[in-house]
Amino acid sequence: MPRTILTFVLWLGLSLPAAFAEGNRDFMRETGKIYVVVATLVVIFLGIVGYLVRLERKLTKIEHLTKDDA
Amino acid sequence: MWWKITSVILLLYAILAGFLVPLKSGIERVEPNVAQTGQRLSVRFFGYNTFFSRPSQEPIRVWLYYNDRYALMAQDVRPLNDTILEATFQMPANLPDGRSFVTLNALADHPAAGASLLPVALTLRQVDTTRAPLDSAWTAHPVEKLHLQKGFSFPYQNILYETIRNTYFHVPMWFVLLFLFAASVWYSVKYLRRPEADFDRRAAAYAEVGILFGLLGLASGMVWANYTWGKPWSNDIKQLMTAVALLVYFAYFILRGSFSDPEKGARLAAVYNIFAFASLIPLLYILPRMFDSLHPGATGNPAFGTQDLDNTMRAVFYPAILGWTLLGFWIADLRVRLQRLKDRAMGLD
Repeated sequence: MPRTILTFVLWLGLSLPAAFAEGNRDFMRETGKIYVVVATLVVIFLGIVGYLVRLERKLTKIEHLTKDDA
Repeated sequence: MWWKITSVILLLYAILAGFLVPLKSGIERVEPNVAQTGQRLSVRFFGYNTFFSRPSQEPIRVWLYYNDRYALMAQDVRPLNDTILEATFQMPANLPDGRSFVTLNALADHPAAGASLLPVALTLRQVDTTRAPLDSAWTAHPVEKLHLQKGFSFPYQNILYETIRNTYFHVPMWFVLLFLFAASVWYSVKYLRRPEADFDRRAAAYAEVGILFGLLGLASGMVWANYTWGKPWSNDIKQLMTAVALLVYFAYFILRGSFSDPEKGARLAAVYNIFAFASLIPLLYILPRMFDSLHPGATGNPAFGTQDLDNTMRAVFYPAILGWTLLGFWIADLRVRLQRLKDRAMGLD
């Protein structure tokens, strides 16, 4: 499940700017390049979310471990 | 708990202020950008965030200037709208310092909205080579009594434009990396003095989240570079040295995991961590200063020059650094607690 979410978020983050770029080739360079700042923040956000997903998966494994003991 | 709330508040402030505070006005370009001596020429100034048509008591003054001594003032200035202004210049018959061409800076001073400047805006060429005394137009109207731009706003820089705001998102990544790696080596030293499993767990967690922020710094830098330097990876000295530094820390985890006896692995990794942290100083702070770089600061100086960060930016930049750092330590704290649970579940602790 986390893997599906991560894949979806990555797909969203990577394909959406490309979709905008198709309609207007200089989308990222327009309006003072403000969307470059948006993209930077999106990259950082996705990176942190990706790490949290990884942590969650490790936590799930530990939960299974302790369940076996009980 | 309080520091987690602080982190959220500071980051919220950094993101909101980072996006909402306007940019100062500037001049993007002038057209035409070449002219000849003796010409009567109307030059269009294309402004960014300018208010050329805002009403004011005094007239707008426009110059093309060579340096402190020599400046040409426009004879007629007509704002077409807020961002386009038409200025008519009578180019003098000859050039200062006996040169065959000069590059002039463009300057428009609006009495209410303030002055905006474009360096190296227009090239003025000498057509005939006859030497005559310098035209008085060069010194008749020196650049003076400029109006300051008022209000809370970030500096305008060509090429960068709005991406100057990335200072609050890309740059703090490196501060978080440094603080986390420092915390990591701190616990490594503690572990060597007293081998407690928790010290080793903390050292590893801080190093791991430090690498995460290093990768985020590289990735966000590549996005920024793509639209300002022209391509995501330019083999810039800072890009290369950061990649090397991250590899040094990857090796820390390989070393740590390659012993069947976890205590031996932890001890050797702690020693390696000290060397890894020591290697950051030449990699991130000495070598980048010795080579040319696309990064701001003189000749690859990894720090900011005074022109790159004004007081308005500092008011957002420093809270942003603190906010991101607290977030980094928060995530690292989760990682420590997770490892503690795991070690307990596996009967290691």
